Amino acid sequence: MALGNVTSSPKILVFSTEKISDPAIDMAGLLKLHYPPTVYTLPVPCSSAIKPRWILHALEQGFDGVFIAADGTDCPYGESCTEKTGAIVSMTQQMMKEKGMDPARLKMAAICSVCSEPFVRHVKSFTEYLSKPSN
Amino acid sequence: MIMEETKKKILEYDALVVGGGIAGGESALNLANLGYQVLLVEKDLTIGGKMIMLSKVFPTLDCAACITTPKVSEIARHKNITILTGAEVKKINKLGEHRFEVDVLQKPRYVHVADCTGCQLCEDVCPVSVSDQYQYGMVGRKAAYIPFSIASPRAAAIDIENCTLCGACERACPTKCIDFTQTEEEYLVKARSVVVATGFNLFDPLKIPRYGYGRFKNIITSMQMERQLAPTRPFNTILRPGDGKLPDNIAYVLCTGSRDKSVGNPICSQVCCMYSIKQAQLLMGALPMADITIYYLHIRAFGKGFNEFYAQAQDMGVEFIKGKVGKISEKENGNLILRYEDIEAGVVKEAEHDMVVLSVGILPNQGIADVFENEKLELDPFNFVQQSDMLASPAKTSIDGVFVAGTASGPMDIPDSILSGGAASAETTSYLRRGTL
Amino acid sequence: MNKKIGVYICHCGGNISDYVDVEKVRQSVESEAGVLLSKTTLFACADSNQQEMVDDIKDQHLDGIVVASCSPKLHLLTFRAVAERAGLNKYNYVHANIREQGSWAHSDNKPGATEKAIKLVKSAIAKVRNAEALEPVKVESVKAVAVIGAGVAGMRAAIELAEAGSEVFLIEREFFVGGRVSQWDDLCITPETGKELVTRLYDEVMKHKHVTLFTGAELAEYSGSVGNFSLKVKVTPRHFKLQCDPGALKKAIEVCPVEVPDEFNFNITMRKAIYHNYPSEYPQLPAIDMKNCTRCGACEKVCDSIDLSQKEEIINLKVGSVLVATGFDPYEPKPGEFGYGEMDNVVTLPQFKRIVHYCVDKLTYKGKEIKNIAYIYCVGSRQVDGENKYCSRYCCTSNIHTAITVKKKYKNIHNFHFNRGIRTYGKAEVWYDESSRLGDIYLQSFEHDPPVVENRNGQTIVKIKDVLTADKELEVVADLVVLVTGMVPRKDNSIGSLLKIPRGRDKFFNEIHMKLRPVETVIDGVTIAGAGQGPKNIMESMNSALAAATKSFSLVASGALELEPTVAKVDTSACSWCGKCEEACPFSAIDRVGQNGNSIAHVNASVCKGCGMCLPVCPENALDLIGLSDVDMESMIDALIPNI
Repeated sequence: MALGNVTSSPKILVFSTEKISDPAIDMAGLLKLHYPPTVYTLPVPCSSAIKPRWILHALEQGFDGVFIAADGTDCPYGESCTEKTGAIVSMTQQMMKEKGMDPARLKMAAICSVCSEPFVRHVKSFTEYLSKPSN
Repeated sequence: MIMEETKKKILEYDALVVGGGIAGGESALNLANLGYQVLLVEKDLTIGGKMIMLSKVFPTLDCAACITTPKVSEIARHKNITILTGAEVKKINKLGEHRFEVDVLQKPRYVHVADCTGCQLCEDVCPVSVSDQYQYGMVGRKAAYIPFSIASPRAAAIDIENCTLCGACERACPTKCIDFTQTEEEYLVKARSVVVATGFNLFDPLKIPRYGYGRFKNIITSMQMERQLAPTRPFNTILRPGDGKLPDNIAYVLCTGSRDKSVGNPICSQVCCMYSIKQAQLLMGALPMADITIYYLHIRAFGKGFNEFYAQAQDMGVEFIKGKVGKISEKENGNLILRYEDIEAGVVKEAEHDMVVLSVGILPNQGIADVFENEKLELDPFNFVQQSDMLASPAKTSIDGVFVAGTASGPMDIPDSILSGGAASAETTSYLRRGTL
Repeated sequence: MNKKIGVYICHCGGNISDYVDVEKVRQSVESEAGVLLSKTTLFACADSNQQEMVDDIKDQHLDGIVVASCSPKLHLLTFRAVAERAGLNKYNYVHANIREQGSWAHSDNKPGATEKAIKLVKSAIAKVRNAEALEPVKVESVKAVAVIGAGVAGMRAAIELAEAGSEVFLIEREFFVGGRVSQWDDLCITPETGKELVTRLYDEVMKHKHVTLFTGAELAEYSGSVGNFSLKVKVTPRHFKLQCDPGALKKAIEVCPVEVPDEFNFNITMRKAIYHNYPSEYPQLPAIDMKNCTRCGACEKVCDSIDLSQKEEIINLKVGSVLVATGFDPYEPKPGEFGYGEMDNVVTLPQFKRIVHYCVDKLTYKGKEIKNIAYIYCVGSRQVDGENKYCSRYCCTSNIHTAITVKKKYKNIHNFHFNRGIRTYGKAEVWYDESSRLGDIYLQSFEHDPPVVENRNGQTIVKIKDVLTADKELEVVADLVVLVTGMVPRKDNSIGSLLKIPRGRDKFFNEIHMKLRPVETVIDGVTIAGAGQGPKNIMESMNSALAAATKSFSLVASGALELEPTVAKVDTSACSWCGKCEEACPFSAIDRVGQNGNSIAHVNASVCKGCGMCLPVCPENALDLIGLSDVDMESMIDALIPNI
C-alpha cells in the first residue's frame, strides 16, 4: 500500500506528561478521536523537565514541529509548572530565532488529564499550520 | 502456583476463597499481598470467571481480556496463593472462631498441567467433537481441549464424559502430559476464614417459551453475542446462527428473566441495559450498515459515565423503543417477528428483525449455602447470600468469619464487584487479626 | 555493549491487529541493531505469553525487552514483573504504546497506524539499548493514614485501618461527624436510621485507641510524598470546655440573640449561633459558629462551659497515605428551576426529608397540610443544557423509599412521580413495586420535554406530556412539589486542589482506572472513597471505603516502600553550583555540598520525585534524569524520524 500521503504530512513530536497529558492522549485513542498518525508522543514526567536541546534536536533532525502538552495548573509537582514550562518555551523560541527557524514550529498548550478533544484540536490545527507551503 | 498430584492430605490456609472470578481474585490478591496464605478453589478449568469471556466493558470500552488476563496472571503466580481448578467445595464446618474445616474435591483433568505447553496437538488429533461450553454452544470443540486461548492455566483437559479413550491424544502429546490414570483428589482444608465469591448464573431463556429461544435459530442470548464480539471469538465476524448470514437488523429484548415475577425473578439485574448498549455500540462498529433496536422498559444507566454512554449510543443511531416484547415468532426466511407493546404510542405493534438478542439477567448461584453444615449461611429473599450488616459492613454474612464478595450477594457490575472484592478482603484481614491478637 | 533484545508485538485480540499490520511491524524491526528475537502475540499480557517471555529471557540470555501493546498505564508494571521473574532488571524493559496512541487513535488510517507503530517500536528499542539496571530507592513509610472526612465512608475506612494495625487521623471539617447520612431518617433496605448508623460507627471509632478524631478541622498544608506526607491541620475551636451542664447549655442557646438559617435542615428552619444539629449528636458537645456570633457575651454569663477565648490550633501530622472521603453536595436548583425559590411550596428532596422528620402525625409545610405531592425527578442530573450529564444513581430509590414512608406515616397522601424512567436498579426494584402497589402514580417524560410547574389561580399545577399514556398532556394539582435533586461534587474543592486530585468530566474525583485501580488516584499515596468519586448509595460507599482502606493500608503496612529510582543525577564534573536547580526544585531535594574545595549540587534521592524541573534550568547541562538522559531522549527522537 502506498504510504505517500502518510509521510508527506508534517511530522510533529509531542512531549506529553506521564500523569496528566499522556492519559488524555490515551483517551483520545480510546474515544477514537482521530488525529494524523504523523504525530508522535514521548512522555516525560513533567513538562517543566523538557530541555531546549531536545526540542532543537528534534527540529534539526527532521521534525516539522514540536508540541508541548503541558501539565498546566494540574501539575502534580507544583504550581510553578505553568510558568516554568512557559519559560522553557520562550527560551527555546529565542534559540530557534537565532538559528533562523520559525519559532511557531514550537507550540505549547496545557492539556489536562481529560482534555482529549482539545489535544486533538491542537495537533490538527498545528498540522494545518505546518502544512502551509510557506512553512 | 498450580497444585496437582497431591495425595489426599490436609492443607492449612489463612483464607479460603471460593470462586476464582474477578471478585474472588481481587480478594485473594489483596490478602496475599498482605502476607496471608490463600487457597483459591475454582470449579471451572480456568480462573477469570465470566469477565474473562467478555468482549469490551462499559462504559470505557476497555477490552475485558486486557484487564482480566494480567490480574489472572498475577493471581496464578503469586507465591501466597494456591489455586485448585476443576475443584469444588463439598462441605464447610465451623469448629470455632478462625477454625473452618472444608472438604474440597478436585476432579481429574487427565493432564499434568505443569508439563502441558498448550501446543494444541491433542486437539488436532482428537476425533470427538462436542458443543463448546466456553463459546456458549455456538461452535464445537474436541474432547481433548484447551478451554480458550487466554485461559489460566492455559493447559489441555480431557472431557472424560465424551472421550472415547482412543488414545490419539496421548500419542500425539510431545511432553507426555496426558494421564488417564488420574483420579479424584480429596482435600481437607483447615482455613481461618472463608470468602464466598461464587458469582452468578445467567437466566436460561428456555424458561420463557413465548420468546422461542432454542426453537428459532436466529435468537441468541446476550452472552452468545458477547462471545461473537470478544477477541477470542468463535467466528471472525458477527453472524446469525441460522444460516451464517451477516445480520443487518438486530433487536435486543431487555429484561429477559429480570423484573419478571412470572419467572420468579422480580429484581433488576443491574447490568443488562448497559451491556446491551455496549454491544449495540460495538455492533455499529462491526456492522456499519446494521440497524440496532433496543426494546426496554427503563434504561438503568446509573453508574459513573453510564448515562453519558447511553446518550452516546442514542447519538450513534441506536434505536430505543420503550416497550415490552410479548411474543416472538419466526418467518420462513429465518427472520423474526416481535410483537410488542409500544408504550409511547399506546398500541401493540409488530416488527421484523433478522436476529434477536435476549438480554438475559443475573440469577443467584445457590449451591454454596448447602455446603455449610453446622452453621447456616443465610440467603436473602432472592436467594443471594444475605449481607448481615449491609450498610456498615457489606461483606459480612450470617456466619462470623465468612465474607461475601461480588455478585454472590446480588447483581452488580464489574467496578462494583471489584470494590466488593476489596471490601471482603478488608473485613477478612481484620477478622484474621482478631484471631492473632 | 551490544544488548540482546527481545521484542514482542501484541495483537491485543484485534484491538491492535485490526488496524496495525503487526507482522509488518515485526519484520520492520527484526533487523534493528541488538534485536535477537521478535515475536507477535495474541495477548502479550496473558499468562502463557508472560511465561514464554520469561523462558525466552532465560534461554536466550536477553538483556533488554520491548513490548509494544497498550498504554503503559495498564501494563508497564505487568511486564516489569515479567522481567524480574526472569532475573532481568526491570528497568531493562521498555514499553511502546501502539494501542491508545496507535491502532485506536488512527483506526481511520491503517497504513499510517502501522508506520507509526513501527517507529514507536524502533524508538523503544533505541531506549532499551541504552537502558541500565537500576535499583529502587528504599524509603521508610510512616504507619499512619489520614482520613479526610468523617462521614460514614470516612469513619468506616478509619475503623478498618485501625483494625488492620495503622494509626489513623480522622479529619472532619464540620464540628459534628456523620456527614450527609446523619441528615437522613429511615434508610432503605435496613430498618436503621441514618443517625443510628452514624452513632454505631462513631462508637466504634471512639473505641479504637489508634484513631484520633479532629472536628472543626481542615487540611491547611500538605507536602511530602507517598510513605511520608507532612500535613498541617487547622483546628477551629468549638469554644466549649469538655464538660457541659445541659441546663446551662439550654439557657445559653435561649439567650443567644443570633438566628441564622440551619444548614443541617437545608435552611428550612433557623438555629442560634450556639448549636448542635440534633440532640445526642456526636461529638456530644455543641459548638459556637463564630462566623455568625456577635461576641455579645450573653451566653458566657449563663453557661460556665463556654470559653470564647479558645484559639485556633495548627497540628502537624506525619502519615504514609491520605484517604479522601469528602462526600458530595446535594444539587441546589437554580432560582426558578421548576419554581424553586419562587413558589413557596417547591422544596428539594433533602429538604423534604427534613420536613418529614419534623412532622409527627400530619404532614404540613408553612402551615398548610400536604396531601398531593408531586415529585420531579432528575433535577440537576441527566441535564440536557446544564453541565451534569450523569445520573445521580441514588435518587430514584431514595425518593421512592421516602414516598412510601410518607404514605405510611400520614393519612390521605397521594404521590405523583414525574420521572424520566425509574432507575431502581438491582434489589431496589422491590421498592418501586411496593410504591406502585400502594397506588403511587408514575408519569414519565424524556430529557428534552420535562414537566412544567406553574401557578394558576393560587394553585400549583404540574404539567407533563406523559409517555406512559401515549403522550397525553396530564396535570396534577400539587400541595407540595419535591425536586428530586441529585448529587454534585462538593462546591468547595479545596482538598482536591490542595492534593491535586484530578477530576473527571463529571467533576467528581477521578480514579486511575475504574476496574484495575478504582480507589487510587494519580497522586501516589492518595486514595479516594465514597461519593466524592461519584454518586453512590451507602452500601456502595462502604465498599469503596473498605477497598480504599485496604489500598492505603498496603502502602503503610510494612513500614517501608520502594520508590522509582528515576531521580535526578548531577554530573559532578560539569556542575559549578549556581543554585538555579535548588531554586527550581519544588521538593527541596537539592543541596549545595562541597567537593574538592568547590561547591556542587547534590540530589537527595529519597526526596526527589523525578519531576525533572531542575533539568532545563542548569546552564551547564549538568543534570539528567536517570533513565531519561540526553542520549536516551535523542536516540528515541532519532528513531522516529526517517521516512519508511
